[in-house]
Amino acid sequence: MIEELFLIEKDAYKKSPFHDLDARIKIVLCFSALIAVVSLPYSPLVFRAGLIFIIFFGILWASSRLSPVVYLKRLLLVLPFGGFIIFFQIFFQNRYYTVFHPLLSLPFGISIYQESIEFALILLVKFIVSVSFIILLSSTTKMQDFLEGAGRLGMPAEFTLSLGMMIRYLFVFGYVLRKMQQAMESRCFDPFNKELPYKYRLKKIGYAIGTLFIRSYEQGERTYISMLCRGYGRKSHLFIRKKAILRYEWGVLIAGMTFIILIPLFFLQMY
Amino acid sequence: MHIPDAFIPLNQAIIYWIIALIFVALAIRWARKELSDEKIPLVAVLAAGIFAIQAFNIPVSLGTSGHLVGGALAAIVLGSPFAAVFILTMVLIVQGVFFGDGGITTMGVNIINMGVIGGFVGFYSFKGLMAATKNLPVSGFTAAWFACFIPSLACAFEMYFAGTFPLVPGLITMGVYHAAIGIIEGVITVVVLYLLISVRPDIVAYKRRVNG
Repeated sequence: MIEELFLIEKDAYKKSPFHDLDARIKIVLCFSALIAVVSLPYSPLVFRAGLIFIIFFGILWASSRLSPVVYLKRLLLVLPFGGFIIFFQIFFQNRYYTVFHPLLSLPFGISIYQESIEFALILLVKFIVSVSFIILLSSTTKMQDFLEGAGRLGMPAEFTLSLGMMIRYLFVFGYVLRKMQQAMESRCFDPFNKELPYKYRLKKIGYAIGTLFIRSYEQGERTYISMLCRGYGRKSHLFIRKKAILRYEWGVLIAGMTFIILIPLFFLQMY
Repeated sequence: MHIPDAFIPLNQAIIYWIIALIFVALAIRWARKELSDEKIPLVAVLAAGIFAIQAFNIPVSLGTSGHLVGGALAAIVLGSPFAAVFILTMVLIVQGVFFGDGGITTMGVNIINMGVIGGFVGFYSFKGLMAATKNLPVSGFTAAWFACFIPSLACAFEMYFAGTFPLVPGLITMGVYHAAIGIIEGVITVVVLYLLISVRPDIVAYKRRVNG
């Protein structure tokens, strides 16, 4: 996952109308859209609401001038766990339906139900729409901007400071990890090479992980001491400059939020 | 084990968030009290290291791979289950917000599973087993295995309460998979603990207590 970090941040540094929006606007819009989708009941109305939300997402993504390939690649990376749960839904009955019609009967008493397929698709739509807004947010917002935006929105100072430190060092350890993996490769060590004894492979990976743990701990110690030298104390916090939201940003926020609030209300009325 | 958005209804997700926030607040209090005042930056940098550690792909079997969660390791090394809560909360925020791994509405439940349950189970099973057996490999392995296995069962229960996965198949699939992955978590945790005790025994909490 850490390899992806550099690519995501590279995308976030690009310029576009959506990239240029204040991080607070993007956080509020994306999180609200996500919550709105999650709040929809598990019913077929999710298909229509999901379609409208994905069109809304598509407009925002287009305004970010990022390639759809970037989105699709990132979506594929996060699909596995959700996809696993969604796939197995088709074999089970669930509490959201009262009657189940078997479509196919398999050996060992396993059946595929029409309603279960529908439920799996509902989950899939909700999952894809919610993940899409996260991909949009992270692909268009630099990590530091996100942090400052979250701080301005009221995230506790303890967390902005800690998260800021963590984000800064994520990239450092991303490089360290890359170097360690290159060093392993240059010595022809492949953890998946079955010609090597399994115990030996585990031991080597364990030592590599242990080394990385020690390096991060020692980096933490050095950073902490350096911060103390610069006057760091209990009351220290991340300095976040005050920033006004521009008029057009207010416009985007109000228009976006109106849409996000009205769509679920409209569909809930139909429910 | 990361539950994505949409798999837990919003009302339940809010309850999990509230519980998670209580533990996060306790973890911040622990960091302020126990880590000699202002050492929070040290733990934050360590969290970045744990995030990188999770990127190591470890072969399991039949071509599959897993990775270390690191909750038990962090709790054992730093000597408190709140270390795992603190570190894994930050890791989960980064994973959820920037990578879409896990979710935003489900971040609370993920913090509970991996940080709270994983951290507490890992730490107290290690402590109890060390007191009973005085055997580091057995204690470290078992603690890390439980810290991987128990949260997966909790995850199956939560999905059942959400109505998005039936209980028995959930317990079987999640349990069997994480029982296998837990072996790797256990072995790697023991190897890392050995390395830490050999190279930097001063940073391993229980070693500090033994050495006085």
